[in-house]
Amino acid sequence: MKKGVYLLTSLLIVGSLVLSACSDQKDTASTSGSTTQTEQGSKDQPAAAPGGESGLNEPFTAADMSKLPAVAKQRTDTIIVGLTDPSGAFTPYFTQSGYDGNVNSLLFGSLVTVDEKGLPIPDLAEKWDISDDQLTYTYHLRKDLKFSDGSPMTADDVAFTWTIQFDKAYDGDSMVPTLPVKGAQEYKEGKAASISGIKIIDPQTISITLEKPNATALVMLGDKVLSKAYYGKDYKFGQLEYIKKLHSTPVGNGPYKLEKFIPGQEVRFVANENYYKGKPKTEHFIYKTSEGDTWQYLETGEIDYSSFSATTENIDKLKSLGFVNIIPYTPSTYGYLQVNLEHEALKDKKVRQALTYGLDRQSIYVDANQGAGSVANIPSSPISWAYTEDGINPYKFDTEKAKQLLEEAGWKEGAGGIREKDGKQLSIHFLGSKSKQTDIFIAVAKENFQAIGVKFEPEVFADFNSLVSKMESGDYDLVSFSTAMLTDPSDGLVQFLDGEIKAYDNPKLKELYEKGLATSDIEERKKVYKEIFQLLNDELPIIFTNYKKTVYGYNGRIDNLAVSPFVGLANSLPDWSLKPAQ
Amino acid sequence: MSAYLTKRISYMLIILLAASLLIFSLYALTPGDYISNNIKLSPERKAELREIYGLNKPLLERYGIWMKNAIHGDLGYSLAQQKPVLTLFNEYIWNSFLLAIVSTFLTWLIAVIVGVVSAYKQYSWFDTLMTILIFAAMSLPSFFIGLFLIKILAVDLKWLPPGGMLTTGTNAVGMAYFKEVIHHMTLPVIVMTLLGVGSLSRYFRSSMIDVIKQDYIRTARAKGLKESKVLFRHALRNALLPAITLVGFELPALFGGSIIIEKIFNWPGIGQLYMQSFGLRDYPLLMGFTMLLAILTVIGTLISDVLYQIADPRVRLH
Repeated sequence: MKKGVYLLTSLLIVGSLVLSACSDQKDTASTSGSTTQTEQGSKDQPAAAPGGESGLNEPFTAADMSKLPAVAKQRTDTIIVGLTDPSGAFTPYFTQSGYDGNVNSLLFGSLVTVDEKGLPIPDLAEKWDISDDQLTYTYHLRKDLKFSDGSPMTADDVAFTWTIQFDKAYDGDSMVPTLPVKGAQEYKEGKAASISGIKIIDPQTISITLEKPNATALVMLGDKVLSKAYYGKDYKFGQLEYIKKLHSTPVGNGPYKLEKFIPGQEVRFVANENYYKGKPKTEHFIYKTSEGDTWQYLETGEIDYSSFSATTENIDKLKSLGFVNIIPYTPSTYGYLQVNLEHEALKDKKVRQALTYGLDRQSIYVDANQGAGSVANIPSSPISWAYTEDGINPYKFDTEKAKQLLEEAGWKEGAGGIREKDGKQLSIHFLGSKSKQTDIFIAVAKENFQAIGVKFEPEVFADFNSLVSKMESGDYDLVSFSTAMLTDPSDGLVQFLDGEIKAYDNPKLKELYEKGLATSDIEERKKVYKEIFQLLNDELPIIFTNYKKTVYGYNGRIDNLAVSPFVGLANSLPDWSLKPAQ
Repeated sequence: MSAYLTKRISYMLIILLAASLLIFSLYALTPGDYISNNIKLSPERKAELREIYGLNKPLLERYGIWMKNAIHGDLGYSLAQQKPVLTLFNEYIWNSFLLAIVSTFLTWLIAVIVGVVSAYKQYSWFDTLMTILIFAAMSLPSFFIGLFLIKILAVDLKWLPPGGMLTTGTNAVGMAYFKEVIHHMTLPVIVMTLLGVGSLSRYFRSSMIDVIKQDYIRTARAKGLKESKVLFRHALRNALLPAITLVGFELPALFGGSIIIEKIFNWPGIGQLYMQSFGLRDYPLLMGFTMLLAILTVIGTLISDVLYQIADPRVRLH
């Protein structure tokens, strides 16, 4: 028996050692899981991008390529990238998951794409005109465009692509149907045979007219183009069922063609010889389905490219691998706490400001993420062309200031140090998704809020849907969220206007929002958004929290790699090439 | 026998009907639906989509539609995967089945051997060692063993691939393909076997110990039979009888996939698909899969009842 006890003890000791050695792996897994969940639906964004802040500001070049695993050395014409969960439905505008969006962005080209600042640049359309009244957009297609099956692409295909999104049976999540296109409503209601605002001028020129100016329309309408001959063969108004049969056999016009989809395993691409910029440099590209933690695949050379939270720990580990190039990256999103404006206490701007001052966002979002990162104060990512810090209150952590504002708002200290007004205690019911970040938030916020006399009651949900339902029932004060990927600065503002944030109604904001969309002039728009950001920064209908930072680690053999915050790797992928292995 | 089967099958149908109602209400009452998951949509668009998907209809009507289609062999269309639910099952279940059948076979084989030897040599060094190992294996969580083995065998030693079912980008066919799959399934099968062997071998051990003490074993020995014959012909057969009940329960497990193992080893199985669908509230897929498991469970119990009668003539079914 003595022997048995001895053995058991030594097993336990070994076990606990191993456990501590492996714990860092599990941590990354859990953070990436939760981020993917809040960012579901964000299109074109490389998946499994965990949150965090960066300690890396410059690209890092691999130091020792001889460490490259043999598996990765053997590949001569194939690049492999991890993607969480492509479902196999690869028809743009009809895909239901953002991961299929990633796949589509390689299979299909757009009329207009955006550069690294989010400004429109030509793609399939070589140029475009916007009428003086900002209502009519005319796209001029390049000559001799072809789909991957060799058939020509013309203005007809563009018209078809726009039209089906206004069909009453359309169930995708494209934002195009929200645009006020002339004649679209009549078409949707079945009163017109076509959309009167869409005009095919010649096979290379097409125009579309809106009823109201909207600066986001240029990029939104200038998206991917479906072949009418292929996707529109059986189209009848109100019937889109047939398109489901075509989901697994896409015909596109992007840099790559679909070679094979293996459910739950791989999406294989092969270079498209009909691509207008010429055949991509690397013949084969593969999206490998890999949920959550991708460390082991990068380390063993099974994938060439992966994203990680930009913690010091991750960056050091990536550097130590030797064969990995690293580039820093800021996703175009912002994190925030949604505030329940239907609750009496939170209707008061001073209380919202007090909570922001009283919350140590620096510790929660920056320091706890290993000394790197940034605090958000406006609804725009720092990489956007509209981003500004001019006239923006940084709400630096200040307990005294918070207390003073609460005093001014009439909340006086009562029993147990909790502030009261009209016999009611000031308490905050917080909802968050289960993640490491939420755990940190709760630990710090509890202390912070206690210091200013606010009772803090956190509630954590393992499941995102349950959290949303709880929020919809109105039983909350603060909920932690992150936006989906934002392309235009107006994207980050929609939630203040469309009723998503209940009980927030600001005519001034509405007016400015319309003004921001009424012109396509960037300088003009910058001014308007600055004013909007200043307004929201002061009013705080939501509490802005943080920006994430990510790093991409990739096989040092890959040349010409760049990642855009708005279109992911789609723009630079055709240029990626593999250097010969050492 | 046939009268018994008719009766049993009609009971089964009633059970399944009740199960379908339960499954439907369970998912219908879970907070949130497929639409509420997409934070990008405006409230009006959400209402429009609920109309298109029929999610705004009364519950009872939705149940009726679902049942009607299900009886016609149509389990619906997955909202997230954009494919018919049955097609998805066909794409994913066989991968799960492959893992399950191999590991179940190994689990039973090892458990029987370990159980018999431990029982026969009760309190020997082998028995003690096995007891310790088995309890150690049982008390470690599966994700831990899984990650640990990936770290050692795949990342550090590079003997086995860290996950997946095929080498990415492979064009292997025939024997080469077969070998590749075996190479990839080794790690998950080891973990699944390790986790399963524990309880099952304890089960066989105790059942064997009971049998060995029976009078007929003493009689067999007294007759002068060889020890191996006593052990395997007389003792093991009787010790395995209660295990037939377990066989029935294995049936749904064979097709149900393993959420944790598949996730850790990136195995393209139904368990992973189910978990993703749950996060997305893809009800057609969730309901279809749960219903499938219910059907398999009911069939499994029927099979084990029938098998029991075949194996043990003392049992009469009526």
